[in-house]
Amino acid sequence: MALRLASRRLALASATAPAPRIFARGMASVLEHTKGEPLSTVSELLSSTTAPTPPSKTSTIKEPEPEKSSKIKTFHIYRWNPDEPSSKPKMQSYTLDLNKTGPMMLDALIRIKNEVDPTLTFRRSCREGICGSCAMNIDGVNTLACLCRIPTETTKESRIYPLPHTYVVKDLVPDLTQFYKQYKSIKPYLQRTTPPPDGREYRQSHEDRRKLDGLYECILCACCSTSCPSYWWNQEEYLGPAVLLQSYRWIADSRDEKTEQRKDALNNSMTLYRCHTILNCSRTCPKGLNPALAIAEIKKSLAFA
Amino acid sequence: MSSAPSAESMRENDAGTSILARQRLNRPVAPHLMIYKAQITWYLSGLNRITGCLLSGGFYVFGALYLVAPYIGWHLETAVLAAAFAKWPAVLKVGAKVLVALPFTFHSFNGVRHLTWDTASLIDNKKVVQTGWTVVGLTVVSAVLLAFL
Repeated sequence: MALRLASRRLALASATAPAPRIFARGMASVLEHTKGEPLSTVSELLSSTTAPTPPSKTSTIKEPEPEKSSKIKTFHIYRWNPDEPSSKPKMQSYTLDLNKTGPMMLDALIRIKNEVDPTLTFRRSCREGICGSCAMNIDGVNTLACLCRIPTETTKESRIYPLPHTYVVKDLVPDLTQFYKQYKSIKPYLQRTTPPPDGREYRQSHEDRRKLDGLYECILCACCSTSCPSYWWNQEEYLGPAVLLQSYRWIADSRDEKTEQRKDALNNSMTLYRCHTILNCSRTCPKGLNPALAIAEIKKSLAFA
Repeated sequence: MSSAPSAESMRENDAGTSILARQRLNRPVAPHLMIYKAQITWYLSGLNRITGCLLSGGFYVFGALYLVAPYIGWHLETAVLAAAFAKWPAVLKVGAKVLVALPFTFHSFNGVRHLTWDTASLIDNKKVVQTGWTVVGLTVVSAVLLAFL
């Protein structure tokens, strides 16, 4: 594998050196896009810059062996290398022949990593939309790369970013430590002291089990929470739609006995009530779940005791 | 293992969070507002907040000025304002009225939409888009109607 890649890279370097793009269009400078958002300006001045170097200022790494009948599509992908922490994040452009690439965005990313640029880093596992590893922002929307079809119009260029307002570990890999800590904080397990009536199982009627539909299917991909502007600004204290959906999953479970304690844990100004029904969460959920509705139900149950 | 958190395990936890804090110092924050797709969900929500601030801010500013006006020699009574406004050309009058009415009508109609969400109804992707565009249409139509009153 390494030998094959090395020989490809040698051929690439000698035959078709990637020419730097010299487009005349003006791209936003690092701080220009924060005009009108004073808080963002302050945070960006204080923290590492968030606006990546635009695609016009980075090289384009092209499809290894283009043919006459190839459908070439351009991808702009967010890159940042922690081994050079002082370097700014940039948008790297890649072109791929869609005829040789699988239909989903994850196929494009894997093909880029295998054949074009092995340093591209991203998380992936099941490739079928059930593990939640490949959650990223594709063409402005948070979704799973393995479920997102590559739009076949070659005139449009796709942009791939990591999940918004997360700390970037490398390239498209977000730091989800806080997300997992928040999930742990809601005690996502059955809490019950009374033994089962028949001594064997904690039984549940069909109606009570139906209440959990639309709640248990969450794969904790973090697409919804990182699409919520309120979570962007209040990440430390607001739990976010994914974790609140799961807390409702336990509140609604008829077998759980600590419903009042679970509701009490949410009864303050920040953990639940930073939700202002922006509704980006339900719009973006790649599994078709509705966290906004669950949060509304929690608010109702807290309001009417 | 052990039930109560011992002093050692608490310190280990702190060591972990301090390592994380140090890593975050060098890590960039992934872009958000500038790259997220324009959607009616967060656009209308932002607009609701902005119009709310404009309306209440304007109300407070005018109220404060009204109280202070006699002491700084200004005249902000309704009759005086109406007389001055009546002298404007018709186009400017209608234009100004539309501009002032738009935040008010948008915030009112979107407010009703928010209240329905508080009852946990119409929180469905299709309904959110439909009600969103309905609010936008009602806003523009009612603002124009109010401007011609």
